[in-house]
Amino acid sequence: MRIQLNARNRAFQFPAAPGEKILYAGLRAQVGLPYECATGTCGTCKARLVEGRVDDAWPEAPGRKFLKPDRGEFLMCQCTPQGDVSLEVASFVYPADPGAFRVAPIGGTVSAVRALTHDVCAVEVALDAPCEFDAGQFMAVGAPGVTGMRGYSMVNCDQPATRLEFVVKKKPGGGFSEWLFSGNAVGARLDMVGPLGKATFHPGMGKNLLCIAGGSGIAGMMSILGRAAADNYFDRHKVHVFFGVRTMRDAFFLEELSRHARAEVTIALSDEDVPATAAAEWPNLRFQRGFVHEVAKRAMAGRYEDVRAYLAGPPPAVEAAIRVLLLEAKLTADCIRYDKFS
Amino acid sequence: MKVLVASSGSEYFAVQAICPHQEVPLCEGMYDGKVLTCHQHLWQWDIRTGAAMGIAEAPLERYDVTVDGDALYVHAQGALNVGELFNGIAPATLEALAKLARREEFAAGAELYKPGDAADDFFVLESGRIEFKIGRGERSDPAGFMLNRGEVFGWAALLESQPHRIAGACALEDSVVLRVNGKEAVRLLEADAASGLVVMRRLAALVARFLAAAGAK
Repeated sequence: MRIQLNARNRAFQFPAAPGEKILYAGLRAQVGLPYECATGTCGTCKARLVEGRVDDAWPEAPGRKFLKPDRGEFLMCQCTPQGDVSLEVASFVYPADPGAFRVAPIGGTVSAVRALTHDVCAVEVALDAPCEFDAGQFMAVGAPGVTGMRGYSMVNCDQPATRLEFVVKKKPGGGFSEWLFSGNAVGARLDMVGPLGKATFHPGMGKNLLCIAGGSGIAGMMSILGRAAADNYFDRHKVHVFFGVRTMRDAFFLEELSRHARAEVTIALSDEDVPATAAAEWPNLRFQRGFVHEVAKRAMAGRYEDVRAYLAGPPPAVEAAIRVLLLEAKLTADCIRYDKFS
Repeated sequence: MKVLVASSGSEYFAVQAICPHQEVPLCEGMYDGKVLTCHQHLWQWDIRTGAAMGIAEAPLERYDVTVDGDALYVHAQGALNVGELFNGIAPATLEALAKLARREEFAAGAELYKPGDAADDFFVLESGRIEFKIGRGERSDPAGFMLNRGEVFGWAALLESQPHRIAGACALEDSVVLRVNGKEAVRLLEADAASGLVVMRRLAALVARFLAAAGAK
């Protein structure tokens, strides 16, 4: 099937395989289509149908609240073409360098589910074939019997990877996380598409790193820190990590974070005072009471020189951190990287 | 029409209220007295001029504001002044350009020009949608450009050694455009070299952007 895409600056033509989502087909053809979550929540990949028909795989996708269906708008990450289609996107679209996007369907098997806290677990997936990705990227993950896919950032950073590790928070009523916590997930097949995401880290960028993460948003930061450590990045650049959780009971990966002895890692506790034992137990980590963006704001004042910031976590936490970085720290938008999931 | 009015404390500014990227209300964004930021994807603009900053790919339509006692007046803008090419040039030159412009309406399906036509005039889109096609007849392909209000097309008329259209343009919906003779416009810009330089620099950036190949941006 052939897709004709009209953007603000030019047109593209690319093929789509039967059943393939238009967004994934375009990225596979190295067309820099607009997207962020790639899984139906953020609305960034909206397009307008000019000709032809598309089939919407998830008509209840939360991102549809950004659409005007009477104008033929749809989400490219959810829709498959039914024959040749012609569509429009409102933004500028540029072709990427050959091989820049490595998006492809990938299968895997859940090999382990390990509890990190009372409501967060690490999920390990053995891949059918090795896969390469950039630190900070994520996979769109689909599970048996769950409608729509969810985006999960990779924790690991080994390349090429034969397994992927994700962090999943249990959400009441969240089909995917409840299925994972049910105990039946090990051995189950997962259909994934990726790697996706533009909040990537490359050691060659040569900037000081500022990572601000809330909850399971720390996953991608672990990959970034791992990649940085492998390249001796800490010898040349300052690395600040702020990890926000409610209480010590909700904190995880402290052991792994401690190993990055030359990064300045601060755990921000929003709902309780820092326990007296924390500092003794984790001598390489700092602990502060407060929301993660407030803790970062206090600690970083006057230290933003040559910084590239990576943000991840619950949308309100990311939004609050963006406000701090733009309005207080006066960083420019190109120094702030995140992938929106709402 | 929705307008966002912002105050820097001592001055008021008015710009379009909806982000040109993804139709997000800009009143939900961030504003520090100088720079307006859309909270969705961090496009930013100079509140004073509406000029795009940082990663923004399009300017904001801005409006003059006057304060009279307790009343605040936002002045409507012609399409010529909102587009990226002429926004902010010397008022006398803009006025002279406006006098050159003829307002024309095209019904859906009507052709504005086809490849090979004389490229005497350029156009500024006031409302509606224009489709561009490259090639002729059966072998034509949509160029895929989409224009916003105030944007310029047919800009070959502003260039030397481009006497003929290389693409065709037709109205996809009922559309209103301003038609301006290229040679006369260039003569006006020569008489006001400061404005002329601004326009030509923007034209160069515009052409570069539409020609942008792999990795460019």
